[in-house]
Amino acid sequence: MADITTDQLTAYLAARMPTWHDLAIEGLSRLPMGASRETYRFDLIHTDAAGTRQRLQLILRRDPPASNVDSDRAHEFAAYRAIYGHGIPVPRMLLLEEDPAPLGGAISLAEDLRGFHNSEYLFQQPAWAPLLPHVARQMWGTMGRLAAVPVERLDLSFTRPATREGTAAAELAYWVASLDRHDIGPEPIIRAAIRRLERWQPVAAKLALVHGDFRAGNFLYDDAGNLQAVLDWEMAHCGDPLEDLAWSLTRSFCFGKDARRSGLAPHAEAVRLWEAASGLEADPQALWWWELFTCVKAQAIWNAAAHVWASGAGREVIHAYAAWWLRNTQDKAALELMGQLTETLP
Amino acid sequence: MKPDVSLAAAELARRLREELQPELTGFRANTAGMGAAMLDMIADAWDGAAARLVAENRALRALLQRGGDALAPEAAEEDLRISALTAANDRLRGQLIALHARIEQAEGPAARDLERAIWAFLRASVAARQIRSANF
Repeated sequence: MADITTDQLTAYLAARMPTWHDLAIEGLSRLPMGASRETYRFDLIHTDAAGTRQRLQLILRRDPPASNVDSDRAHEFAAYRAIYGHGIPVPRMLLLEEDPAPLGGAISLAEDLRGFHNSEYLFQQPAWAPLLPHVARQMWGTMGRLAAVPVERLDLSFTRPATREGTAAAELAYWVASLDRHDIGPEPIIRAAIRRLERWQPVAAKLALVHGDFRAGNFLYDDAGNLQAVLDWEMAHCGDPLEDLAWSLTRSFCFGKDARRSGLAPHAEAVRLWEAASGLEADPQALWWWELFTCVKAQAIWNAAAHVWASGAGREVIHAYAAWWLRNTQDKAALELMGQLTETLP
Repeated sequence: MKPDVSLAAAELARRLREELQPELTGFRANTAGMGAAMLDMIADAWDGAAARLVAENRALRALLQRGGDALAPEAAEEDLRISALTAANDRLRGQLIALHARIEQAEGPAARDLERAIWAFLRASVAARQIRSANF
């Protein structure tokens, strides 16, 4: 799909915002953010109803025709709106256009928080080493606070319903269905993991808004390592908050290529930070279940990325790269969690 | 092809990463970086790909025969194109899933021995497919 042009966007916004006069777009550029959606940055200049010239810094996200994640603009837009103002920093959502006709796909507009970093790889540069304990407190502290937000206060009508007793089985069924739908070949390790997961599921200590992809690389931070905003809520749903913790612990996201989870802190320290912030206890057996579940969910996403190419639905380089780079790693992570990465004696 | 594919792919990856990527910004720089990483993976996997698949397919057939599975004719293995070997690998892995699920439920030392052999195969397969730049 062709990138959005300045002329296209100007024409669309001028029609959509008739009270904004002399509208102009500056600096439209596509950002290298995420595999599932296209992300653009631009300045919007206009004259408001009071005759004052305004400049807005904006982020536009567009649904592609094929993605590795089954979500859409309306879902992520509603997720951001649900959590906005509840103590978890997120950009403010401004506009949702679900009609794909004007710009080649549904879009959302949000405020652009500029001047911050989002790279997971920056943390691995030597200069950042002294700051990593602080970044870890920021990341798992924010994740813990998200877990603690009472779901009764949130409008979660955008997401599939959940119960404490049923969320684990429901999430497993959801991602197994995704694996089946995006079949690119047999998965003996992941199928063995699924059989293990189907034998027993944990009951959630509480329900929470689960971000669904909370890890290094999906939040903005400043030069001091302070978390500024949590991004990429397209997989947000109501569920067990241990799901977010487990996702952040998976080996695929050990960007330091060592045991530090999300490239930031050891497993035990990450769990301790999350427990302190959430006020919840991460039951080891339940957390193990969600960590193994993470392997199934992640492999479903990497396979869906490969399936986009195999089916001819898309040719984004990041989909091929992610599948090549991550599928074997996810198998290896599942082997480790099932106690099969090293030979065991009878 | 001469020069060797692995050698050429590795050199192309280096030039893309060191000479072209710094000239780009934003989305295009990221695409160039991923392209370089993929060329590195091709360079690493190219030479051994057929040998790995042949070895895996033999090991899979041996496991399936231990489990009493009926197998497709060996003649399929005479086609050594990567696509043909991969298709055979997929068929055999599909059969392995069924055998693995069945043997998990079976009792007795022979079942446990076969289950350990299946895990050993899966462990070896993951090790053989290790991506050099992977996080784990």
